[in-house]
Amino acid sequence: MLQMQAWRPTVTHAALGAINHRVPDPFERLFLQEYPKVVAIAYRVLADRTAAEDVAQEVFLKFHRSHSPDSEHASGWLHAAAVHSALNVIRGDRRRAQRETAHALDPARSSSVASPEGVVEEAEQRREVRRALKRLPERTAAVLMLRHSGLSYAEVATALGIKVGNVGTLLRRAEEALRKEVDRATPE
Amino acid sequence: MRHLSDGTLRRIYDEPLALTAADQAHFDECPDCKPRFDAIANEARATTARLRVPSFEPQARAALSVVQARITREETARPARWYQRWLDRNSPRWRPMATPAIAVLLAAVLVTGLGVSGVAQSLIRVFEPRQLQAVQVSPSDFAQGTALLDYGNVKWQPEPPKLQQLSDAAAAQSQSGLPVLSPASLPKGVSGPVSYGVVSHATGSLTFDAARLRASAAQAGVRVSPMPSTIDGSTLVVNGGPALIEVWGLGTTRETMGIPTLVIAQTRVPTVDSSGANVSQLEDYLLSQPGVPPELAAQIKAIKDPSTTLPIPIPKGLATTDSTQVNGTPAVLIKAVLGAGVVWVKNGVIYAVGGQLTPDQVLAIATSLH
Repeated sequence: MLQMQAWRPTVTHAALGAINHRVPDPFERLFLQEYPKVVAIAYRVLADRTAAEDVAQEVFLKFHRSHSPDSEHASGWLHAAAVHSALNVIRGDRRRAQRETAHALDPARSSSVASPEGVVEEAEQRREVRRALKRLPERTAAVLMLRHSGLSYAEVATALGIKVGNVGTLLRRAEEALRKEVDRATPE
Repeated sequence: MRHLSDGTLRRIYDEPLALTAADQAHFDECPDCKPRFDAIANEARATTARLRVPSFEPQARAALSVVQARITREETARPARWYQRWLDRNSPRWRPMATPAIAVLLAAVLVTGLGVSGVAQSLIRVFEPRQLQAVQVSPSDFAQGTALLDYGNVKWQPEPPKLQQLSDAAAAQSQSGLPVLSPASLPKGVSGPVSYGVVSHATGSLTFDAARLRASAAQAGVRVSPMPSTIDGSTLVVNGGPALIEVWGLGTTRETMGIPTLVIAQTRVPTVDSSGANVSQLEDYLLSQPGVPPELAAQIKAIKDPSTTLPIPIPKGLATTDSTQVNGTPAVLIKAVLGAGVVWVKNGVIYAVGGQLTPDQVLAIATSLH
C-alpha cells in the first residue's frame, strides 16, 4: 500500500521536532576552529594585530558568501585567502607602518626587547622585513608565511595547491630569497 | 650515492619524522648532507627570527560575533527577492515565505508519498533522527538523543490531508484535478494493474510557542537556545497538495503486496506562509536548531535562491545524483542500487518518476509522459 505517513497531522510537528538536539552551527564551528590560524597567518604577514584581525574577518565573510562551511576545501581556502589578502595589504597599505609602531610600543604587548629604544628598533626591523617580503614573488612569500605561521607541510601544500614533497624546496628557496632581499635593503 | 635534496633537508628541520628509513640511513652516514642540513637549519632559524612578531592571543569568540553581525547586516541590506516583493505587495499581512528547511520537508513529503524503492524510503529520514545516518549528512551529526520537542500548536484546516486509493483513472483525475499521466511504453518488468492514490489539498499551521518549547525541552532534558521574539507567536501555514500518485506493481492482497516497480507522482508546488517572522529569520532559526544536520543546513544555506530551489535529500553512500533534463526542463536524476528516480518542477507542479529501474528507463518514461 502507499505509505503517506508524511501527510499525517504530525508532519510539521515531527519535522520540526526532528530539530531537537544541539548541533553547532557549521560556520561557527569552522570559524572557531580556523580563526586562530587565519589570523595568525595574516598577523605573521602584517605584524599588525588590528590589520590582521580585519583581514581574517574579511576572509571569513568572503568565504561565507560563496562556500559551504562543510566543504572539504574550507581550511585550505581560508589559509590561502588569508596569506594572499595579507600580502595584498602590505603591498598597498601606507597606514600599516604607523599602526605597527603603535602596536609595538604598546606596553601590554610582550616583546623580546625591554627598552623603548629596543622596541622601536625591533619594530623598524619588522617593517624592513615586510618591505623585503612584498618584493618577493607571490608564491614565494606565501609559502614562507604559511609555514612560519605554524601550518604543517600538508596544510601549506593544500593551501597552495602543490605537492607536499615540494613544500620543503619552495620554503628553502623562499628563506634564501627573503634573506637576500633583507640584506640588499640593509647593506653592511 | 644520491644526496638528500635541499627541500628534504629543510623539511626534516621542521618534520624530522617525514624522513624515510632509507633517507634517514643516508643522512646518518653522509658527511655532505649533515653540513648542508646545518646551513639550512640556520637559515630557517634566522628566518624565524626575522619574521618574529609580538605575541598576540586572538579572541575567536569576539571575532565571530563581529563577523556574524556583519553577515546579518549584509543579509538584511540585500534587496528583497522578487517573490518577497511580489508577496509583500499582494498580501502584506501574510508574508508568504518558503524556507529551504520547509522545502526539504515538503520534498521529503512528496518522495515519501511515493513509497518507492530504497531511495525514496531513505529520503524521509532527513526528518527522522532515528534513521538519519542513512541520509546525506555525516552520521556523527546524529550521535545525540532523539527526543521530540514541541515547538508550538499544530492545526489542520479543516482536517488533515487524506489519501484515497482508487483503481479508476477517471476517478483519480476527477478527485485530484490533475491529469493522469501515462508513459508511451513500459519497460520490461513493469506491468499493470495500476493503482491510483489521491491526496487531498490540505492546509496545516504551526504557531511557534516559546513556552511550550522550553517546557518540552526541559522534560526531554535537551538544551535549546531561547526562541527569538521574532519567531515566538509567528504562525507558519503550509499549503500542500493535491497530489496524484500512480503505482505499478502493487499486489491487491496482503500476500502479493510488494515494492512498486514504477511510481509516477505529481503534486502542486507547496507553499509556506508566515504570519510574522520573515524568511531569513525563520531560516536562521530553523537551521540553527539542535538536530538539524550541519551538512544539510550548510547545503541549504548555500542555495542561492531558496524560493525556487527544491532540495532533495539524498542518502550519502546509497545514492548519487546527476543533473539532467526532462523535455528541456532541468531535473535531478537519482541513481541508487535499488533503483532510480527523476524529479522536476514545471508550471507549478512537481513531478517524480521512480522505481526499480535503470536511470535510462526512468528518463525514458519521464520524457514520454503524456
